[in-house]
Amino acid sequence: MTTIAVNGVKREVQAPADTPLLYVLRNDLALSGPQFGCGLAQCGACSVLLNGKEVRSCITTLGSVGGKEITTLEGLPARWAKQKGLSEADAAKTLHPLQEAWIAEQTPLCGFCQNGMMIKATELLERTAAPSVAEIKEAFTTSGPSPHLCRCGSYTGIIQAVQRAATAMAKRSEA
Amino acid sequence: MSTTSSDVFGAALSRRGFVKAGGALLAGFGLAGAEGRQTAGAVADLNPAQPESWIEIHEDDTILIRTGKSDFGQGTIFTAYRQIVAEELGVPFGAIATVVSGDTDRTPDGGGTFDLLMHGMPNLRKAAAYVHQALLDLASQRLAVAKDQLVVKDGVVSGGGKSLSFGELVKGQKLNLTIPVKGDLHSMFGLTVDGNPPLKPLSEYTIVGKSFPNSVIVSKVTAKETWVTDVRLPGMLHARMVHPKTLGSKLLSAGTLDKTEFPNAQVVVKGNLVGVVALSEWEAIKAAQQVASGTKWAEWKGLPGDQRLFQFLKEDADWKTAPVASSQTNKGDVTAALAASAKKLSATYQLPYLKHAPIGPTLAVADVRADGSVFVYTHTQNPQALRSGIAHMLTTSVDRVVVRTFAGAGHYGRSNGGNAGAEDEAVILSQAVGKPVRVQWTRQDDLQWSTQSSAALSEVELGVDAKGNLSAYEIKHYMPAMQDDRLVGALLAGLPTIPAPNEIGSLFGIANAMHDPWIYDAAPVVKERAYGTSQVGQASSPINVGLRDHSMRTPGQYQQNFPRELAITEAAVLGGVDPLQFRLQHAHEKRLIGVLESVRENSGWETRSERRSSSNGLSRGQGVSAMFRSGTYWACVAHIAVDTTSGVIKVEKITVAVDPGIVVNPAQLRRQVEGGAVMGVSMALLEELSFDESGITASDWRSYPILTMADVPEIKVVLIDHPTAEIYGQGSEAANALAAPAIASALLDATGKIARRLPLKPAYLQALLRA
Repeated sequence: MTTIAVNGVKREVQAPADTPLLYVLRNDLALSGPQFGCGLAQCGACSVLLNGKEVRSCITTLGSVGGKEITTLEGLPARWAKQKGLSEADAAKTLHPLQEAWIAEQTPLCGFCQNGMMIKATELLERTAAPSVAEIKEAFTTSGPSPHLCRCGSYTGIIQAVQRAATAMAKRSEA
Repeated sequence: MSTTSSDVFGAALSRRGFVKAGGALLAGFGLAGAEGRQTAGAVADLNPAQPESWIEIHEDDTILIRTGKSDFGQGTIFTAYRQIVAEELGVPFGAIATVVSGDTDRTPDGGGTFDLLMHGMPNLRKAAAYVHQALLDLASQRLAVAKDQLVVKDGVVSGGGKSLSFGELVKGQKLNLTIPVKGDLHSMFGLTVDGNPPLKPLSEYTIVGKSFPNSVIVSKVTAKETWVTDVRLPGMLHARMVHPKTLGSKLLSAGTLDKTEFPNAQVVVKGNLVGVVALSEWEAIKAAQQVASGTKWAEWKGLPGDQRLFQFLKEDADWKTAPVASSQTNKGDVTAALAASAKKLSATYQLPYLKHAPIGPTLAVADVRADGSVFVYTHTQNPQALRSGIAHMLTTSVDRVVVRTFAGAGHYGRSNGGNAGAEDEAVILSQAVGKPVRVQWTRQDDLQWSTQSSAALSEVELGVDAKGNLSAYEIKHYMPAMQDDRLVGALLAGLPTIPAPNEIGSLFGIANAMHDPWIYDAAPVVKERAYGTSQVGQASSPINVGLRDHSMRTPGQYQQNFPRELAITEAAVLGGVDPLQFRLQHAHEKRLIGVLESVRENSGWETRSERRSSSNGLSRGQGVSAMFRSGTYWACVAHIAVDTTSGVIKVEKITVAVDPGIVVNPAQLRRQVEGGAVMGVSMALLEELSFDESGITASDWRSYPILTMADVPEIKVVLIDHPTAEIYGQGSEAANALAAPAIASALLDATGKIARRLPLKPAYLQALLRA
């Protein structure tokens, strides 16, 4: 039995320690955010935040994550609510500004890669409040184990959504 | 309760009774016209008497629509389809509360998910027009007002000072509207709604043309969507396949499992099909690796290899057996016109095999039950055709098979004839172990065992007269068969499949077609022909596999438009005319002229007859391309910078002008065109399937790279709404074909060098620039 912390909740998992975290999240914990794209850390579809850093859950073993805070796409609203100190009632009806921006910009096409895109964007905006287009491109291309790939070609919509979210987050920080 | 019936422009409206609650009007099938439909069996088709139908008008004024198409990232079924139905019915967009799609037992029509707007006449539009008329008939009776005196606005019918909402019209009643249909439900094209109900005049449109958001995006970005990857059935086992060593390998012996290490895993062997099932996914993965390491396959070398591909196509392939396709716009005597031309060009163009390369490798869950019924859960563009293929494989009737479609990774045409890859293998394994089985292909499986977009080569002879006009144009297109919908698991297992493209009875055969319509009407002499041949390696593969090809986004036309458009630019340069002006000079069609002028204006195109002298190291250039597809005119300008030392092309800006006729949803169309442009740049610069004499050698994203965000150019999309064209052309598909010829044209402008082979990789360009 391994205990891991996922989206602020301690979860007990019965799986071998060498199991990739992706299969634990999807099959044992029924989370659907992270997706299997390659199993090789080459695409980013499976990304989660591990203590705030974007990692590829397809090559991160269950045994290596004990004691660290895992955030998946499902956990982004609560992560934002906690950062902003929102009440439980407000938190329940809040999306992360990145999710709102992804909807406002109508960013996804098939959407399969967008989990990793939003996880990477969360990491970026928590470190760099107002990234330039060059910084956004750098984050999604060279900052991790591989570029975050989108076959539908939604990169333009992603850049615009990140910029929109950054603006929204800056406003709410002032408020 | 007796049934009353009345005629509505050829559809039959009947009242099957009165109810206290849940009154509705249900628009369903006309059985008489539905060839090939069967309703008997354990798993029946939609029964037209049941509330599974095209459109349901509910007494609470909500509306449900059903389509056999699926969503592949266009969002069309959630946006444009809702808009078109709302427009025809005369209800607000938001009244269409539910869209049911892509399940063979829950949706009415079939056909592949392509050409979604069907030249402005998707089935749902006509179905809605019939329903609108039926509702007017009902209102005329209830209000005692002549039909032509009634007015519909926001779902309310008014006349004679009285009004009733659609919901009130159907309240307390069970109404059925039986719509005439024709076609074959399980074919590539599915059923088509028949007849000619009156359609709303374009001048009265209020919903089409507005940017309504795509409802599925909310569920996808909040992790609420049920993806095909999320399907879990009770007792389900996970599986991985052990595919053959080559595309022609027979199984010699399957590897074994160490049961102490993998107590819950099992090897399934059927013919040359080897799969490993286990309770947990991780056990299935590791067990499959163990089995693979001990499995022995026969060797096979029946492919030319990518280095010899074009030599093979030119010298060894048989282009004589298949009928030759000629363009309908051919005219004049090419030989004489070439002889009289002031300047001439003779050139060959080459395009490699490409992969659809979905971000998620294909997967499917199958449940073959003890009673013989089969449920398949997958992400397919054509669930009815897949259903038919699975039934054929199992030698059972289609009534026993249900295909349910879920959201998944887009794969751009791969499954428009039914299968994406893993569905049949899941069925075979489920049948073998008697439990539901989930087959997840690996990235390597997806690159090596799926179909690919055909390679192609084209030969051009053209002439330009002394005034700089195109005086003669001849092109011969050569491409292996591009539509193989056989189930690969069935092939491996030795089970029945539809014929291969070169076998008697195959749907598409090996003939090529003219996929790229000629658009330069002013050219006096044109001769375009297309030659087809068998898929490479298939006939000599002992397992009948080889390089299986399949249509991919802008199929066939991409392969033909690149050589034509680059050749047209070359002709312009020969004639000393600006390549965009040259196209305008040869265009008669106003919509073509419109997109060309628009792209010139919006891209910052410099009209000039000679290329700009290049600076040292970095050369910049502009290039243009144009295309007509499915009612839509396209023009594209690429601005590039070439590092003449490294041979690296940086695409700096892509400008696309598109005239699809009526723009249904500008915001969605814009995103689709942007995405297509990105895919087009990726195909132009990076994509080429590597293979040796035995099989595909690409195995991951390093060996089949696609464009990353760092290399995405500035993209400018100009939408030209053209209601008088009275057509909804295809916006989502064709943008991927535009970039390659525009970039190659820009390379010619930047360097004076002509790259007639794709992709435009640095090593190729370095050699070209040195020559």
